[in-house]
Amino acid sequence: MAPSKLTHISDLTPPSLERTWLTTPHPTLPIVATCSSDKTVRIYSLTNFTLLSTITGGHKRSVRTAAWKPHITGESVLATGSFDATVGIWRRWDSYGTTDTTPTTTNTTTDASEDDHGDDSDEEWRFAVLLDGHDSEVKSISWSPSGLLLATCARDKSIWIWEDLDDGDNNFETVAVMQEHGGDVKCVSWHPVEECLASAGYDDTIRVWKEDLDDWGQVACIKGHSGTVWFLDWEGVDTCPTTSSSTAAPQELSSQWRSQRSLSGPRLVSCSDDRTARIWRRVPKESANSALSSAQTGIPSIIRPSGTDEEWVEDSCLPHAHELAIYAVAWSRRTGIVASVGADGRIVLYEERFIAQEGGTVNSADADADAEAMDTSDDAASAPALLRTEWSIVAVVDGAHGIYEINHAAWAKRADRGSGGEEEEVLVTTADDGSVKYISCHDPDLI
Amino acid sequence: MAEVQNSNPTILNVADLPTRSRPTKKSGDYDYTSGIFAAVPNPADFLSSDSEDDDLLEEPIDEQEIFDLIKLISDPEHPLSLGELAVVSLPDISIKPTLPSVPSSPLQTVTVLITPTITHCSLATVIGLGVRVRLEQSLPPRFRMDVRIKEGTHSTGDEVNKQLGDKERVAAALENGALMQVIAKMMETCR
Repeated sequence: MAPSKLTHISDLTPPSLERTWLTTPHPTLPIVATCSSDKTVRIYSLTNFTLLSTITGGHKRSVRTAAWKPHITGESVLATGSFDATVGIWRRWDSYGTTDTTPTTTNTTTDASEDDHGDDSDEEWRFAVLLDGHDSEVKSISWSPSGLLLATCARDKSIWIWEDLDDGDNNFETVAVMQEHGGDVKCVSWHPVEECLASAGYDDTIRVWKEDLDDWGQVACIKGHSGTVWFLDWEGVDTCPTTSSSTAAPQELSSQWRSQRSLSGPRLVSCSDDRTARIWRRVPKESANSALSSAQTGIPSIIRPSGTDEEWVEDSCLPHAHELAIYAVAWSRRTGIVASVGADGRIVLYEERFIAQEGGTVNSADADADAEAMDTSDDAASAPALLRTEWSIVAVVDGAHGIYEINHAAWAKRADRGSGGEEEEVLVTTADDGSVKYISCHDPDLI
Repeated sequence: MAEVQNSNPTILNVADLPTRSRPTKKSGDYDYTSGIFAAVPNPADFLSSDSEDDDLLEEPIDEQEIFDLIKLISDPEHPLSLGELAVVSLPDISIKPTLPSVPSSPLQTVTVLITPTITHCSLATVIGLGVRVRLEQSLPPRFRMDVRIKEGTHSTGDEVNKQLGDKERVAAALENGALMQVIAKMMETCR
């Protein structure tokens, strides 16, 4: 479709002169952190696209990954993961480059009063602590939705979960070390609201982890990709597929969609060296245990899930759009649009739509399932027939970073003056030549 | 490398290796500084606009040139080159458009199939890494490297291929001092 739907607004300047791996937007402020092979992390403004500061001296090798701690006010906390096998924690008071958008904080320093608020370090990133534990390159890190837990993973095949004790002394405690993966763990990503972790990696699997009676353990091992799984992202809790204009009763559809979603929870999107991106869905417990339901969904429940085990199934495979490895996917928590980028230098956007039947109505399931649903209408509330959707490509941009491979993409709230509305989102993409691009996807039909 | 794994490899005569007849050069030792290096496009050209074609009118790079780039890499356990040992050979090198469906795309994929001297050679990964590093350092960034073990020539070929195709692992290897010393030693004969 028309690539003009994606508009390159600006590069973040000056760029790193070496490969950049990932750019992560701050949860509330209009700034991002970019990880570079030059061992630094660059903090850029999304209001004027300039470099605000550079975090140096913390890592001895490439900085591969970074993540902002959520739910803290007055201060920003950034975790960085490096090929030097360590994870750094950095702190900075929220006072610079953000004057027009700093969240109004009534309690100025009470949460983190251990630091003198008047010294020179106010203006700079303060190194807080180095988390040492992995044996080899740290590949991905992720803060839990509450900000209490930090998950890290490495080539040493392990995932570590650390608890931020928040004791004013920058102490972190190792909560769990999981070693079930058969190869490098390339990505860890927390569920958007629950303490549930997803991981993926070199062994081509995706795994889901939860805490059960103080023990962190694997609750699902999802197989389907035929190559390294590079990246994972969770669906937002509030998004819903789009309905075409001819569709009857979109409200009804989305409310049915939401009640269905409340049973299975947010889905996962993954991307892989096998050049596919796939969507995965958890089978609701009650449904998996019911023969009737499995008949409806067409998924045989051979093994009755016991205890905390979860059954995850492939919901869909996104339309083929990449010729080389897909390195990152980003599932917009606002619009539900999925973006993918990879070694072929392409940016692809996908949108999920309800499937409309002939005659303008939307069928909720196939004919067999409909019959089942009617026979068991009293049971409909607990196990409604699945609404059918399909994913379609809404934009493709070739050579988005020229000839360079794109390593990462993330959605961020648009913060520059050209903003088309408060809710507009932009895509921030990061490439091998050190460039980071700020791309508008604004389209009235699309978003 | 304390123990030589293949103490009696088949050796080809350097004079018999395929070469483009360049009267001023000895045994195909092409002078890279004035050759393809001069043709490396300025990265700034790609950041500013979508002028893909006019800035990329470099001298086309063909299989022979790729072969010339890698044939002099030394084997990590023999004082011989990969070309002499037939670990790399001209027929096992191919260059194809990366995105055939996008005719205007300058991206090209260089595929090099490696034939280890013995099927259980534990140095296959190092040799493959050496070839990949050599190409990455010599070719313009519009090339995508696909360095693989030739099918059926190595007992753990798939495993080696997965490592060689993993950008992140290759990047990390380049920051590994010990490993890079080995690679640098292999490259000494290339200069």
